[in-house]
Amino acid sequence: MLSLLRLVSLRHFLGSPLRTLITVAGVAIGVSTLVGITSINKSVMNAFRSTIDTVAGKADLTVAADTAGLPEALLETVRAVPGVAHASGGLTLVAPIDGAAGQNLYLMGVDLLDDGFFRTYEGVDTDVGKLADDLEFLNSTDRVLLTDRYAREHGLTKGSTFSLITPDGAKPFVVHGLLKETGPLKAFGGAVGVMFFGSLQEAFGRGRTLSRIDVAATDKKDLEALKQRLRVALGPTIEVDAPERRGQSVETMMRSFQLGLNLGSGVALLVGIFLVYNTVSIGVVQRRREIGTLRALGAERSTIRGLFALEAVVLGLIGSAIGIPVGLLVGRGAIAGVARSVSEIYVRVNVSDVQVGPTEVLLGVALGVLGSLFAAMRPAWVASSVMPVEALRRDVALGGGQVSVRSWPTYVGVGLLALAWPVTWLPAPVENLAFGGYFSIFLILMGTTLLSPLLLRALNRPFQKPAEWVFGFAGRLAADNFARSPLRTAVPVSALSIGVAMAITIGGFVGSFQASSQRWIDQAIPADLFVTSSAKLAGVQNQPMSGEFIEQIRSIEGVELVDPVRIMPWDALGLRIFVISNDSAIYMSRGTPLLLAGKLPDEARRSQGAVILSENLARRRNLTPGSTFTMNTPTGVHTFTVDAVIIDYTSDQGSVIIDRKVFDQVFQDTRVDSFHVYVKDRARDTESVRAAITARLGRRFNLYVLSNAELRDEARKLIANAFSVTTAMELVAVILALLGVINTLLAAVLDRTREIGLLRAVGADRAHIIKLFAAEAALIGVTGGVMGVAIGGVVGVIVTTVVGVQATGWDFPFLFPWQIALQMFVGASVCAILAGLYPARRASRLDVVEALAWE
Amino acid sequence: MIDVQNVVKVYRRGSNEVRALDGVSLTVPRGQFLSIMGSSGSGKSTMLNLLGALDVPTSGTISIDGQQVSQMPDDALSKFRRSRLGFIFQFFNLLPTLTAIENAILPELLGGKSREEMEPKAKALLESVGLKGRWNHRPDELSGGEMQRVAVARALLSEPALLLADEPTGNLDSKTGAEVLRLIREATRERNLTVVMVTHDPRAAEVGDRLVRLADGHIVGDDPVRVAA
Repeated sequence: MLSLLRLVSLRHFLGSPLRTLITVAGVAIGVSTLVGITSINKSVMNAFRSTIDTVAGKADLTVAADTAGLPEALLETVRAVPGVAHASGGLTLVAPIDGAAGQNLYLMGVDLLDDGFFRTYEGVDTDVGKLADDLEFLNSTDRVLLTDRYAREHGLTKGSTFSLITPDGAKPFVVHGLLKETGPLKAFGGAVGVMFFGSLQEAFGRGRTLSRIDVAATDKKDLEALKQRLRVALGPTIEVDAPERRGQSVETMMRSFQLGLNLGSGVALLVGIFLVYNTVSIGVVQRRREIGTLRALGAERSTIRGLFALEAVVLGLIGSAIGIPVGLLVGRGAIAGVARSVSEIYVRVNVSDVQVGPTEVLLGVALGVLGSLFAAMRPAWVASSVMPVEALRRDVALGGGQVSVRSWPTYVGVGLLALAWPVTWLPAPVENLAFGGYFSIFLILMGTTLLSPLLLRALNRPFQKPAEWVFGFAGRLAADNFARSPLRTAVPVSALSIGVAMAITIGGFVGSFQASSQRWIDQAIPADLFVTSSAKLAGVQNQPMSGEFIEQIRSIEGVELVDPVRIMPWDALGLRIFVISNDSAIYMSRGTPLLLAGKLPDEARRSQGAVILSENLARRRNLTPGSTFTMNTPTGVHTFTVDAVIIDYTSDQGSVIIDRKVFDQVFQDTRVDSFHVYVKDRARDTESVRAAITARLGRRFNLYVLSNAELRDEARKLIANAFSVTTAMELVAVILALLGVINTLLAAVLDRTREIGLLRAVGADRAHIIKLFAAEAALIGVTGGVMGVAIGGVVGVIVTTVVGVQATGWDFPFLFPWQIALQMFVGASVCAILAGLYPARRASRLDVVEALAWE
Repeated sequence: MIDVQNVVKVYRRGSNEVRALDGVSLTVPRGQFLSIMGSSGSGKSTMLNLLGALDVPTSGTISIDGQQVSQMPDDALSKFRRSRLGFIFQFFNLLPTLTAIENAILPELLGGKSREEMEPKAKALLESVGLKGRWNHRPDELSGGEMQRVAVARALLSEPALLLADEPTGNLDSKTGAEVLRLIREATRERNLTVVMVTHDPRAAEVGDRLVRLADGHIVGDDPVRVAA
């Protein structure tokens, strides 16, 4: 068999270098896309987990409260609990860097002596062990240890000063020493500063609070009992858990984000398989005569099948070998963008590189090798089954058989489509994972793929007249050819349709989401100006501002009202939700909350703890007006009553909207994430008020003042950015499909060599032949475009109303993206024609005499 | 009418040179039915390719109907084939997706003429070759003889200056072959068409007016066909 491979296959590969190249490129692109996406997914998740792990160090349990913090006194309470071997408290926060928009320094406030039990800090020029007695470090509120990398990158040395934004404005800090980027410092990519926790509390106005207490147990085997004892000692509002458990709500949350990536990798995988199938199967079909010769010379059927299987494996291996490193490069190119989106929307992750592990490599090889094998088997089987004399005939029309209505692909295709809607009702096996929706999309893509050969056949007649009208009689012939080998032509058509469908789906989803969120901003938060700290949109990276700014803003000429809004991430109801507090009087009088159920609470109800829920939280936790739920707060466990459910797009996990006065009491927090400023006359006062705020507060405290239009624009960009990788995937899918178009048409040129010869003999000139193939390419493009638009519309509805609802809890109407549909349709057709030009040129240059091959 | 002067055609096969035609000169007056015979490799297919404007000679001149086809650019050759030449092939070479009538008018359609313009003439022609009522059949619905009749109709439709036939009976049984030959003979005689037919079959060759024999790229015999008694 190996000698046959060398003798027959190798010569064939080298003899048709272009086709071999396309096949290998097809496999490689499919493999690289899959490997790229899966490794991005994994790297982001791993980076997040390793952040949790390295920060947790050797702690067995972590006592934590959220942003409001734990009273420092609790540290002694914890140490007194039997079974606690060691406990150390720490405060962590994110400080925006003065003068560097969007850049933050992660600050860890620790007691180095205590913390050394859990984590190892290594000094570059400083003896960390001596810092515990270094009075200058312990007593100054401005001394920070930086990692050597960070210092180097920012031109800082021991003793130099730099400025950070604190709740009281920009303050200078002094580099006290440098640390090696190891242990917990590594998790944040070096952008970490370490301070004595007392200094950090002081510098950032955190009173005597901690964000975390790490606990080491004397008995590691019975952590559950220790956890219970700690809970009893600390009370119900404080959470005690193993460090890794604390990451779970964030992981659940990130599943929503992965919606786009999952869709992207699934589609890339499918299109990759298509292309592999397309290239390998065409290669086999075209070698019918060669198979006939081998059979005539005595090769057995099993030998032929084995030979083609082996060839496919070899091509698959070569493609995988190229695709895996390329996938790594693709991942590297895209990882920064993905990490930025995750950091903006959810949680700070530091991903400097993508990791390709054995799973990704195996997945890549499996797609490359098994995909090629699968693709080669059917045509090899068919080709080896015909009698040698049949295979040897020169005039047999090759190219993949006919399709009939009454055949298994039709029945299965119709069946899959019929099941597509019912499976959307399947429940999510894991929270935020829209299994039913994804499954339904898979069924739709498979169903339409199986039915597409039939569709192609049916399109023959409808295409004849328009094609003739555009391309002359060559167009008519192209319409016939288009439907002649429907099994083969269906492959690039389907691949193209999936690329187009994906663009429509994602474009429609993003557009619908943007439209709904714009409407929400218009109606629910119509303030004229928004004052925030360095992060442009209030969110996880936001540094809350002091509540005292409100008076300064109010006193500005032209300001009518100021709503001090706090948007605080909080673990409640098993989710990382946002607790939003605002001045209800302003919120309800100036804005029009988009009420879905219940009645907006009046002042009396609000002071009794009545709250408003975002629709996604209500849906996720099955809460309706009248329901009650509890939240752990710094002042104990409080019960809240749901009065209304509204549309709110602050968080894809859910939001609770609480009156500011109630929030201040319950959460003991007067800080503000965004001042919503209403001016007296929007046209007259907006710019002057903005200038005044910037002059009084903005420069000193590094605050941003956004207009309503700018906020809308930021929201729009944030949504678009979350899907930027998916957009890149669409491009890959379309490129793969176009390679498929080239390949299919090259095969058609070979198949129809005699016909091309005949046409040339009876007077067709080269332009006719070019038109013939360009028209066929156009028909492939048009059909792929139309199918893609139709599939994209249906899948868009499913992604928006099923997958989106399950992943984010938001239910908004799907708006069909007409503009994108038109662009994609025209784009697919034009690109298909361009892809068809090379095969067309080749066809037009065939030697007429050889093509006719008379005698 | 057809004037071939000192035509040489050299093919390169790897490092070898094959002189398929080696200084052939031939004149065929209008209306003559010329049969060319010869064994494999004698140069008869090359002769047909050159006369059919499918290929150009290495040296020498070929003039058909007063036009020098040996020096025409490719597009002009295509146009010349479309308007002045008719082809009949051994394997019929009909497009499988077109009906009989569409196949017959294919060269005209390629030339930009409309269906409506060509159909009445094509129908009359198909009727004259014995395919009345079968114009909307596709090749897979026709017998070998019928397919060849469509090919004959296609070749005659443009009223060509020269009709080229390559083993037109090679793929037909002897009875059908004889019928098709008779059809070609009568149709071309009525229209005073020049015909060049390449064949292996001595009985087919005898349908013509004149028989040229080729061997190793040279004309080795050029005789009038004796009309059978």
